Amino acid sequence: MPRPPAPPVKPVTRGPSHALIGGVVVLVVALIAVLVWAATRDAGELGASGSGAALPDGGGVSVGAGLEADVPQIRIYEDFQCPWCGVLERSVGEALADKIEAGEVNVTFQIMSFLDGSLRNDSSTRAANAALCADDAGAFVAFHGAVFANQPQQEGTGWTDEQLVGFGRDAGISGEALGTFEQCVADQPHADYVADMQTRANQDGVTGTPTMFVNGEKITDEEMNRLMQDPSALDGVLAAHP
Amino acid sequence: MTGPVPSTEELPPQSWDGVAARGGWRDVVGTLSRLVVGGVLLVAGGLKLVDLTGAVQSVVAYQLFPYEVARFIGTTLPVVEVAVGLLLLLGLLTRAAAAAAALLLLAFVLGIVSAWARGLSIDCGCFGSGGPVAPEDTRYLSEILRDLGLIILSGWLVVRPRSLFSVDEHLLKGR
Repeated sequence: MPRPPAPPVKPVTRGPSHALIGGVVVLVVALIAVLVWAATRDAGELGASGSGAALPDGGGVSVGAGLEADVPQIRIYEDFQCPWCGVLERSVGEALADKIEAGEVNVTFQIMSFLDGSLRNDSSTRAANAALCADDAGAFVAFHGAVFANQPQQEGTGWTDEQLVGFGRDAGISGEALGTFEQCVADQPHADYVADMQTRANQDGVTGTPTMFVNGEKITDEEMNRLMQDPSALDGVLAAHP
Repeated sequence: MTGPVPSTEELPPQSWDGVAARGGWRDVVGTLSRLVVGGVLLVAGGLKLVDLTGAVQSVVAYQLFPYEVARFIGTTLPVVEVAVGLLLLLGLLTRAAAAAAALLLLAFVLGIVSAWARGLSIDCGCFGSGGPVAPEDTRYLSEILRDLGLIILSGWLVVRPRSLFSVDEHLLKGR
């Protein structure tokens, strides 16, 4: 008697196949990656408007004789929490401020804030916002100098809002303007412009601070070292980039 | 009389004795490779994810891509690193994950070599924010050697993805 045909053997499977898991993993990773990319995207638009002396497209704070004037056009990329930027400012800052005051140069300060990320705080962004608040009060250059004069001993300590307001007072902001300044420091209305300045610096290819351009030419490392060590070196460096 | 005995060929080791008996040191090497490569990628990706501005700036510092491309790489690469790192740590899709890790690491080595060859003075930005450093502070050789070591471990897993304590091992059971 012939045996009945054996029932078909169902393959034993436990769990999904590798191909399925692989497909799902790739999709999820791609989705998250696109979301992260998109989340930082609006920062690339450079649409925010800053304070009175702030150039459009996150182009920095321009002070002195003006962009069209026939004077040395200086562009400084810096981060308020960058120690070497502090060294540069404490060396040539005063000479530079005098030249700005006298209209002998035009300086555009491109204030970056990338150190917040590596120092795990938000002091670069808050100080940059406060600098724009100081610009609204007509005291940008003095405030800029006061922040660098009061850099913390330990990089990464940052500043409190009270300290930033104090720097504003040091910079000569007083009376009603001081109240407005204090509110501006607290509310950070210029935060978007501060983000744009960081993006713009990267678009310009600048990834380190301090970086300085004179009449469109980047000064050399040797020139930067001289500026940091010798306050009287400024004229020589400016003359080297006509 | 004994019936047909199922082949033990594909069964995973049941105990450390079994491991030793079957020459399982290779599985141990596999597990260690997974942990080292996966751990490094997870940490490297995680540090970049919490500092995306620095991650983008690090890619810009290589001066290889236009800004928008650099920003795309800087924001998506950390996600991929974390994902590949997690897969390796779990031992899930080990061969594919190890191949992806090897390709990533190869790309990193090429980037560092090109920065070195062009005389740039940058930190590789491998673990978060890089960017310019003083010429005497560049560490291109040690960065390249580290990545080559990780490529070798990844290569082992591509050739022989079996290892102890992996999800793959459990998925294979009962097939």
